[in-house]
Amino acid sequence: MDRLPSWLRRHIAALRALLVLTVVTGIIYPLAATGVAQALFDDHANGSIIEQDGKAVGSSLVGQSFTDADGDPVRTYFQSRPSAAGYDPTSTGASNLGPEDVIDTLPHGSDEGRQSLLTQVCARSKAVGELEGVSGARPYCTSDGVGAVLKVFPDRAVSVNQACPATPFVAEYQGRRVECARPGEDYATGRTVPVRGDVTTVRVPADAVTASGSGLDPHISVAYAELQAPRVAKERDLALDQVKALIDEHTTGRALGFMGEPAVNVLELNLALDRR
Amino acid sequence: MATHVLESPNQAPAPKKDSRMGGGLLDPKQMIRSLPDALRKLDPRIMWRNPVMFIVEIGAVFTTALAILDPSWFAWAIVAWLWLTVVFANLAEAVAEGRGKAQAATLRAARRDTTARRLKARDPGQWDVVAAPELKQGDVVVVEAGEIIPGDGDVIEGIASVDESAITGESAPVIRESGGDRSAVTGGTKVLSDRIVVRITQQPGQSFVDRMIALVEGSNRQKTPNEIALNILLAALTVVFLVATATMQPLAIYSKSVNPGVPDSLALNADGVTGIVLVSLIVCLIPTTIGALLSAIGIAGMDRLVQRNVLAMSGRAVEAAGDVSTLLLDKTGTITLGNRQAAEFVPVAGVTERELAEAAQLSSLADETPEGRSIVVFAKERHGLREREIHGAAWVPFTARTRMSGVNLDGREVRKGAATAVMKWVRDAGGHPTDDIGHLVDGISASGGTPLVVAEKGRVLGVIHLKDVVKEGMRERFDEMRRMGIRTVMITGDNPLTARAIADEAGVDDFLAEATPEDKLALIRKEQEGGRLVAMTGDGTNDAPALAQSDVGVAMNTGTSAAKEAGNMVDLDSNPTKLIEIVEIGKQLLITRGALTTFSIANDVAKYFAIIPAMFAALYPGLDALNVMRLASPQSAILAAVIFNALVIIALIPLALRGVRYRPSSASKLLSRNLYVYGLGGIVVPFIGIKLIDLLLQLLPGMS
Amino acid sequence: MSPTLAGILFIGSLLLALAVCFKPLGDYMYRVYSGTRHSAVERGIYRLLGVDPDGEQRWGVYARGVLAFSVLSVLFLYALQRLQDHLVLSLGMKAVEPSSAWNTAVSFVTNTNWQSYSGESTMGHVVQTAGLAVQNFVSAATGMAVAVALVRGFARSKTDTLGNFWVDLVRGTIRILLPIAFVAALALVAGGAIQTFAGHGTWTTLTGGEQTFTPAAAASQEAIKNLGTNGGGIFNANSAHPFENPTAWTNWLTIFLLLVIASCLPRTFGRMVGDNRQGHAVVAVMATIFAASVALTHWAERSAGGTVPQAIGAAMEGRETRFGVSDSAMFASATTLTSTGAVDSFHDSYTALGGGMLIFNMLLGEVAPGGTGAGLYGMLVLAVVTVFVAGLMVGRTPEYLGKKIGAREIKLASLYLLVTPALVLAGTAVAMATATGRAAMLNGGAHGLSEILYAYTSASNNNGSAFAGVSVNTPFHNTTLGLCMAFGRFLPIVLVLALAGSLARQAPVPASAGTLPTHRPQFVGMVVGVTIILVALTFLPALALGPLAEGLL
Repeated sequence: MDRLPSWLRRHIAALRALLVLTVVTGIIYPLAATGVAQALFDDHANGSIIEQDGKAVGSSLVGQSFTDADGDPVRTYFQSRPSAAGYDPTSTGASNLGPEDVIDTLPHGSDEGRQSLLTQVCARSKAVGELEGVSGARPYCTSDGVGAVLKVFPDRAVSVNQACPATPFVAEYQGRRVECARPGEDYATGRTVPVRGDVTTVRVPADAVTASGSGLDPHISVAYAELQAPRVAKERDLALDQVKALIDEHTTGRALGFMGEPAVNVLELNLALDRR
Repeated sequence: MATHVLESPNQAPAPKKDSRMGGGLLDPKQMIRSLPDALRKLDPRIMWRNPVMFIVEIGAVFTTALAILDPSWFAWAIVAWLWLTVVFANLAEAVAEGRGKAQAATLRAARRDTTARRLKARDPGQWDVVAAPELKQGDVVVVEAGEIIPGDGDVIEGIASVDESAITGESAPVIRESGGDRSAVTGGTKVLSDRIVVRITQQPGQSFVDRMIALVEGSNRQKTPNEIALNILLAALTVVFLVATATMQPLAIYSKSVNPGVPDSLALNADGVTGIVLVSLIVCLIPTTIGALLSAIGIAGMDRLVQRNVLAMSGRAVEAAGDVSTLLLDKTGTITLGNRQAAEFVPVAGVTERELAEAAQLSSLADETPEGRSIVVFAKERHGLREREIHGAAWVPFTARTRMSGVNLDGREVRKGAATAVMKWVRDAGGHPTDDIGHLVDGISASGGTPLVVAEKGRVLGVIHLKDVVKEGMRERFDEMRRMGIRTVMITGDNPLTARAIADEAGVDDFLAEATPEDKLALIRKEQEGGRLVAMTGDGTNDAPALAQSDVGVAMNTGTSAAKEAGNMVDLDSNPTKLIEIVEIGKQLLITRGALTTFSIANDVAKYFAIIPAMFAALYPGLDALNVMRLASPQSAILAAVIFNALVIIALIPLALRGVRYRPSSASKLLSRNLYVYGLGGIVVPFIGIKLIDLLLQLLPGMS
Repeated sequence: MSPTLAGILFIGSLLLALAVCFKPLGDYMYRVYSGTRHSAVERGIYRLLGVDPDGEQRWGVYARGVLAFSVLSVLFLYALQRLQDHLVLSLGMKAVEPSSAWNTAVSFVTNTNWQSYSGESTMGHVVQTAGLAVQNFVSAATGMAVAVALVRGFARSKTDTLGNFWVDLVRGTIRILLPIAFVAALALVAGGAIQTFAGHGTWTTLTGGEQTFTPAAAASQEAIKNLGTNGGGIFNANSAHPFENPTAWTNWLTIFLLLVIASCLPRTFGRMVGDNRQGHAVVAVMATIFAASVALTHWAERSAGGTVPQAIGAAMEGRETRFGVSDSAMFASATTLTSTGAVDSFHDSYTALGGGMLIFNMLLGEVAPGGTGAGLYGMLVLAVVTVFVAGLMVGRTPEYLGKKIGAREIKLASLYLLVTPALVLAGTAVAMATATGRAAMLNGGAHGLSEILYAYTSASNNNGSAFAGVSVNTPFHNTTLGLCMAFGRFLPIVLVLALAGSLARQAPVPASAGTLPTHRPQFVGMVVGVTIILVALTFLPALALGPLAEGLL
């Protein structure tokens, strides 16, 4: 070994170091951790699986969508948040859409178009509102559930997310006539002006209209659960108080009183409902 | 031992001007005179040595081409101010150099047309006449009254009075003699009396005057270590800003393309930011202020030394002066006045003080040494004894053998001198000095004083207490040094007791008593080993090793050639106190660089706030929020930033030449003050300046 | 309790916990790196390595050791991914594409952990634990080793040597990272993180749908992923995934882990240079920047600026319910102020100014407190430059910790500070100038520019987080981002080690009243100012066209 040139000796030492450390940190460490974890917390270590009637129905940590085959909400269940991953644990992730993603690409011919984050929010808000029987109105949203955004030109303005023949959410903007958007037309040169509108009370909570980071969020906010409670109670012929008590039961408060936000585990809540 | 006092040390001339930093006025005429030089420096072969300004010049050329291809009022205004920026930078350097040139001209005159009488052998009768520049090291020349000394050398024979005003500016002639510490003569000085033989010690073309000329002209100025380091930092910043602006282009093109509704502007079109605006941004961001002034600061630093009659052989030494942490100061002439003074008459038992005073005065009447004069004066002040005109007195002068002096008058013999010598004289005359006298002498020695025993034939009268008088204000000076983090060490030949007493009185941190040249060298080495930088002054040949070893060695101009060669600075005034000023100048040089660098970088903040909204607010109206100065229009904003950037160079030339104000104090306080003035000021001033320029510009057509 | 108060307590409790650990962990690490004794296990390892643990190395040798180890690591990791289909326990995953494998290999070796792939559908057990997680350990240990070598440069004098890389690597791994990671892994399992080598699990949901989950040794990897400021998660959703980060308190623990080593290393530094106050000054600089950044990000996120956040009423897009806006913002700040890059919420959907702050955090060079080791050496280089300018202003040749900052030191420090900005800006510019580069954007307009800027900022600063909408699993981006990661990691390391070598050779200059004190608030303020102003000046044009253009309305 001493006769080898120093660069080669160095690389041999490096290779040995890599292999030795791979054994220590890549094999011994995870195996030891797994051994102890499985011994002490086997339920957690294996994914906090919830079984019903001896059959796994999910993980208490992984959200599910409670929709039917058509994707419509099953009215007897509390609904989870929207998910960019469709609650598929093999393709987790978020929408990654930005705060100024406000202009849709309207469907046109073979182009399916694309909904901006704003329109997604508006549409979800409208849908939840309708499902729960409250107003789904939000700032920057039109009453038909798309983003209230104008493209302003010198002589006119276009409500870009409202495809013709829709009626634009305002008739006039600073003296310009507002038109509906013709799919396929290029409005790029116009100035983008989102219009806040005059909505002051928002009934649909924020988590109900936004996708989570993981796409597997098992929780909803207490506010969203309470919004859904009357519907579920009605569908299941339960007293509202009973449902609210269940919500309380499945609400995790802030850890140590200050960490995180209070959250309701939707799967556990729905299972509890089913068990009644 | 004590009779050293009778050998008069070099009387240092008082500093000619206030020793505090200051001076260095900027003459507008000087600016105009330097303008041709500044223009000559536009030559790229010269410009490239200053990378920051070279980039500005390239930018100026580029924008000129752009302006020719696509002329507009705005383009030409930018072009003009970019060129002015470069010229202003060159002007700063030219002005700094110009100040030295006048001085160099005088020196050149001294060097011109000198001929030398070169001795062929040691035979004084045979010589040939050669031109001064042809003299080689080791040649021996003879110089007589009225002649100019042809080159630097040592007097090897004779004594003469020499007029050195050409170099020192001091009109009083000085004595130069062979042997000892006053043997060095400088080429270009004039012999006023007598005749000396000089061995030339310089290489041809390397004379003191030659070096002085080169120094004050700044022609072969070498960059100092800190300057090099600073240049690297500035180069790195320049590269960063070049990269930042160059890479902005694809981003700008993209941003323009996603906002197709926004019309093209002077600043931005489909090809991105226009060339003129891009160059303007680069020039505003790269550290032009410090880049333009850096070499002027260096030259001016040397110049400030020259103004104080100190010649630094290298810029490195000036910088090192700022770093000095240990100052070795000779006691005599630096800490104390060059002489001791009578402070007390201590009579022995049976003698009145007045009796002693009278005898002492009598013995000193003919003694012209400062100590002798002080005895006469002290006797007069304390005991009302007036000087008398005495006839028929036989004065006995001091000699190294007798080690005493005195007077024989009307059969009365009075002597004063070193205790041992006088006691012996008393005993020889049959007297019996008491033990009492021994105690007195020891007591005075112990308190740091010098005892001079006064005796009459066969009888000891008492002792004169001669005291070293610490110069006024030294304690404050040393306290100041301590606050600056500089340790002062007093070097003296005195015994430790005496040395300690004086050290305590003067307030130095440490002392080296009974110092030999070897001790000095050892002390310097020890300090340096601990990582400290040491400065010292010296004049004698035996100081040469210590001067060479020290980091800042200031040789006295009166000293030997060996000392002058060994040191890296020469003080033409031969004033040992000047070391303290040299340290301050060194510090001031570094502070000026640091302060202007900070100022330059801090300036960028405001320029961004002017230019970024000007470029992009049309695309993204929200960015107009950055236009905190509310500048009138994109054109006026960009032009105002460029104009401010150029004008600030001119405005700071006086500061660069004068150096920032330096008050000795702790590092923390200095930093706080400079941070407020140059850091905070550097952020605030351009906001005001750019706004004011913009207010004027918006009155012009095409600016809104 | 109001969400605001809860958020403040969350941050406060983290800072308190870090403060409690500062002394004991800092001192422990000091003993680890300064001790002369080798444990029996370590002696065995050195024998296996064939190195003399007491052999001191000059900076060049140390640097070549780092490089050799890293190059082999890249090759090993690349091979492991390319051969995945032949490995056991690979859950049926295919071999990874070449450009993605290269990108991932470089990414994990450089402590970046940029992931252009989706974990749960790309990597099996062996690649995750024996490949990626190993690099989580050793890349962190390498960073710490380099930082310690630089500190030795300050602490030592008149010597050529900086210690022994193999010893520093092994000790950092075995004595510091492994024990903490092991405890943290168990804590995470206790919270609900999974830790299993089983096969895929499948169940039928209540409404008859099917869910399949990819099992993993998540807890053990999650622990070191954060402790070593790596950030590369098992799952695509990273720390937002309930199996990685199941509860609000595991979220707290995760943030704590990714801050703890970098926050305590200044104490180690103070001990090693024999002046604890110097360590306190460094940590004060970090804390100041940290506090300001966290406050600004919280303000931006809680005020939910921008059209969509205003429409929603809270910046909840891409956030988990259990974490909420505040704790997510805290996580995002911490992950970008360190070189971690793990995310528990998706930065692409942050408010424009909040997302801009995250980019700015990384552009600071990740020094507050920064990556394991990398944060300390980055901060010390900034201190060197500050000392230089400040030192001139007090009229002396600048000194830091008794070492003169001369031409060579400034050259190395300047180059260090030049490398990352050049990579960020050049990478962004190249991507923005080419159609292929721009095609990666998910969002349009200024936000799209921010996505690209974020990507190259993250890669060049070895962070690894992303505006994740960007689709960069293309040969163009895998290659350019890979180059940014490699140069962004190793050029600074070589420069830092050269600086260390240059400092170690010097004899120390004793401090005096004329020396610039580097432990006072004055100096702390100045380092903060220099850091922020330098970065702001360098990146303002790019930031103006991205986050600022989007956020200033």
